[in-house]
Parts: sequence; structure tokens; C-alpha cells
Amino acid sequence: MAITPDLSVDIGGLRIKNPVIAASGTFGYGTELSPFYDPSLLGAIVVKGLSLQPMPGNPPPRTVETPCGLLNSIGLANIGINAFIKEKLPLLADTAAPVIVNIYGNSVGEYSELAGRIEGVDGISAIEVNISCPNVEKGGMVFGTDPETASKVTDGVVKRTTKPVIVKLTPNVADIAVIAKAVESAGAGALSVTNTFLGMSVDIASRRPVLTNVVGGLSGPAIKPMALYLTYRAVEAVKIPVIGLGGIMNHQDAIEFLLVGARAIQVGTANFINPRAALEIVHGLRNFCERENLSDINHLIGSLIKE
Amino acid sequence: MIEESVFIEFNRQMGNDIWLMGFRSEALASLAKPGQFLMIRIQGNSQDPLIRRPFSIHGIGEGNIILILYQTVGRFTSLLSLTRNHDQISVIGPLGKGFRLPGSKQGAVLVAGGMGLAPMYFLAQALPPDARRNAKLFIGFSTFQGAGLIDLIKGLGLQVSLATEDGSMGFTGTVTDLFEQAIDRDAPEEPVIYACGPHAMLKKIAQKAGRLNLTCYVSLESYMACGLGICLGCAIRAARNQDTEYYYVCKDGPVFSAEIIDWEAL
Repeated sequence: MAITPDLSVDIGGLRIKNPVIAASGTFGYGTELSPFYDPSLLGAIVVKGLSLQPMPGNPPPRTVETPCGLLNSIGLANIGINAFIKEKLPLLADTAAPVIVNIYGNSVGEYSELAGRIEGVDGISAIEVNISCPNVEKGGMVFGTDPETASKVTDGVVKRTTKPVIVKLTPNVADIAVIAKAVESAGAGALSVTNTFLGMSVDIASRRPVLTNVVGGLSGPAIKPMALYLTYRAVEAVKIPVIGLGGIMNHQDAIEFLLVGARAIQVGTANFINPRAALEIVHGLRNFCERENLSDINHLIGSLIKE
Repeated sequence: MIEESVFIEFNRQMGNDIWLMGFRSEALASLAKPGQFLMIRIQGNSQDPLIRRPFSIHGIGEGNIILILYQTVGRFTSLLSLTRNHDQISVIGPLGKGFRLPGSKQGAVLVAGGMGLAPMYFLAQALPPDARRNAKLFIGFSTFQGAGLIDLIKGLGLQVSLATEDGSMGFTGTVTDLFEQAIDRDAPEEPVIYACGPHAMLKKIAQKAGRLNLTCYVSLESYMACGLGICLGCAIRAARNQDTEYYYVCKDGPVFSAEIIDWEAL
């Protein structure tokens, strides 16, 4: 007899109905992909990274394709936290999926100020702290490569909010476990592992970097094995839930991350290629659990067989 | 806007490296407006090439055939040229803001540099019969690409002039030179300029239109990862007097009024 598997998971105090989350920067402000499906069907959505002030982003070109990957240097172009709360958040009022706001600051103080602005705002279920953007001059990844600074940023946010705090880590470090532990000790409820890998592309005809910013962040299937390893490594290092992401294109990819212990996964670049990718992954996970006779997806999580 | 898997009806070589592809889509045929574009993916599960590519809608043929005119410039378009009848591709569209058609008393002047021809056939199709007969189209290629390409658009009844940089057919020189000479000599009354092509060409056309105080629309090309206004990859610098630093080709364009673009930054 067919069972209806329970797909719900808990990520640091936020209960979501399935483990599929739309990743920041690939799902707009939450409504852009509504022509394709109802975002309520996802576990949660993380909106485009927001700063205190609007940011115009980097000079173009900002994106280029590399083998099985997408290199970007958008530079956190965003409308700013106030405009988001005023203009965009109301459009998500009918969306049943929890909205997670990704925040980015130029200083430790700005991160906590952002958390303060969000505190008490209905319709925002959690905060994802971006200490891993490779595409901005000040701050960004710098906060995520030094355990002490990462810890200060986390602490500053946790103290200003009652909402669950997820910290998004950069892969561009010698050992992600060190940063993961520091952020956990500072009170993070969960981790997102990982953001994009630093990369570049050169136009041999002009002998110039393709991206005006010279370097960008690499995403897509090209980074999946590395992101999967970092997720595995982070899961071993901390007790808090880890959300895995990096190159997940389909439910098989998602299951790999769940098997190494990711409590949930995020779908990013795949949204650009197949706007229904995240929803198809939800269906794929449900079908997989049914086929495998799993009543609860939590039985799958971390069930990697190593011997 | 829809996402649809469609079967290729034909895909034929029209010039040295220019191809015309057609597929049937009732939905896109009813929704699409001249100047809008599609994001195309060749194979359902391929991860290389990974990202969709934007293509102008070239026109709409009989039986709801969507036409795409493209040049093989890289790996993606080379692979596209290898697709055959009954092969399946995925399309998202129609996307972006299209051309604003000329007013009843205005004359249309279309300027296409190379693949800038792509959106012009659809624009010509959309002009009312009288306006179409009086419309002028200037096309420029580096070298002659074959008669088929030109005959197709001539069939719509507009006045077509051709320039080739190597002089292999028509006016010898760039389409910009051809356009500048023609507009000085023999401009229709209240012309509206529609231009598409390389950025350097568009800059010259926009400057000329600006000097003559003529309305000018340009259709721009850009790298873009999604076409849906999400990735924010396709930024172009707005003119200084605009209230934004960047426009996005996929959402704010691809057709822009020439005066709102910062041509020095492009």
C-alpha cells in the first residue's frame, strides 16, 4: 500500500513542509516565477539579498557561462530593505511558503541594524545572513572568511531578532568547519552551505576578463561535487541543521545532499534554466520516498552508508 | 509568458552563417509583439550549454509558425543550427518590452546591422499596409549573406537598401553610413527610427537621431541568465538624467528609447 511520506523538516526553529527552498538571488523578490507555479508549494523562499540602502550593482557584463556553470558578478543589486518591506513583501501575503530574508551589510553594525528592521515585521519567517558574497568590494565574503568576524556578525544579528537565524557560508575558505563552528557558537540556528566559488573567465580575443568585475562567483552543476563535500564537512562539524546548496538541478542531486546530512536544500541556478525546477524537485523527493517506502524524509537525511 | 516544449518545423541556412528556424506555437503567436524575445534551451537535460539564450522573435508565419533568425557565433548557436525537424526545444516567452509602433502620420525607418535584422521582420509585419509600403529598411552586413535573407523581408513590401562593408553587394560601407546619407537626403516626414545591431552602430544611429531630434528606438542585446528579471545580469547604464543607475535589458527592454541609454558606458 502506498504511503504518503511526511516531507516536513525543521531548520533551526523554522518548520517547513518540504525541504526544498528557493535560493537567494535566483527567485527575485518571491513573485517573479509565479507565472510558472505557485511558490506556496515550496518549503520556503529566500529573497534576493537586501542591504540597508539600495545598491545599483556592478558594471556589466555581469554574467557569463562556463562549462556546466554560471559565473556572475551581480554585486548585490537590490532595492534596499525598506523598499522590500513596503513594496514587495505585501505581494507575498498570500504565499503560504515561509519567506526568508537574505541580508547583507557593509559592517557588523549594519547586519544587526538590518535584523532590527526586520524584527516585528509580519510575513518574514527567518533571516539568512549573507557573509559570503564574492562580488562586493567591502564586506561580503570578508565577513565569512575570518571565524572571529563571522562570529561577531552572527552574534549581532541573533541579539536583535527573535526569528530563526541562518548563516550562509562561503566555500572560499581553507576549512569550512572552522567557520561553521564559530557561527554555531555565536548562536546561529542553521547554516546554508554554500555560496558561489570564486572564478574568472577571459576573452582571448580582447585579452580581457569577460566580467568587468574581473572575478565572479561560480554556480551550477560545475560546483556540485565541491558543494556536496562542503555540506558533508559542515554537517560533521556542527549540531545545528545544515541547508545544502550548490548546483542542485534535480531531485537526484537533492537526495545526494540529504544523504550526506543536509536537513534541507536550496535550488538556485536551476531556476534560471527550468523555472519549474524547484517544484519538480519537491515532486521528485515525494516520489522517491514513496518508492523507497519512507514514511518520513528525515529517515533519509544523513543516512549515508560509508563502510 | 509561457514555457513550452516545441518541435522544430524547419531550420535552414539562409546565408554564410545565418539560419532561419521555425516552430509552431499558437500561444506564442497570439501573445508575441514585435521586439519581444524568447529564452531558448536546446536539450531538455543537457548541462552544457547550461543557460538559456535570448533570441528575438523574427516574425510569425502562416499556421502560427514562430520564426527565429540567428547567426552561429558560438557553441550554443552552432548546436542550434544542428537541430533538425521534429527535434524538441524549450522556449520561454514572449519576454520584454517590444517596439512602440509609429503614429498614423509617422514614417518608419528600420536600420539593421547584421543580426540586428532579427526583430525587424516582425516589426515590418506589424506596420499597417500603407506605413509598410512607405517604410524604409537599411540592412548592413560585413559581406553579402545571400539573396534569400533579403528576399524574405522584401516580400513584405517595404523599401529595402543593402550595404556590405566589403562591397560584395549594394552600397559599399557600413549600414550607419548608408543610413546617415539617406536620412540627410530623403527622410520621410516625421520619421521614427528603429535600430538593432552592434552597440557601436546603435550609438552612431542614436547620436544621429539625437542631432536631428528624431524619435529613435533601439533593441539591445546583452548577456542574460534568466530573461525574467531575476538574475539582474543584463544591466545597461542609464543616461545621467534618469532616476536609476541601470536598466535591465530583459525587463525594461530589449527595446529602449535611445535617449535614456548612457551610450558612453555601453
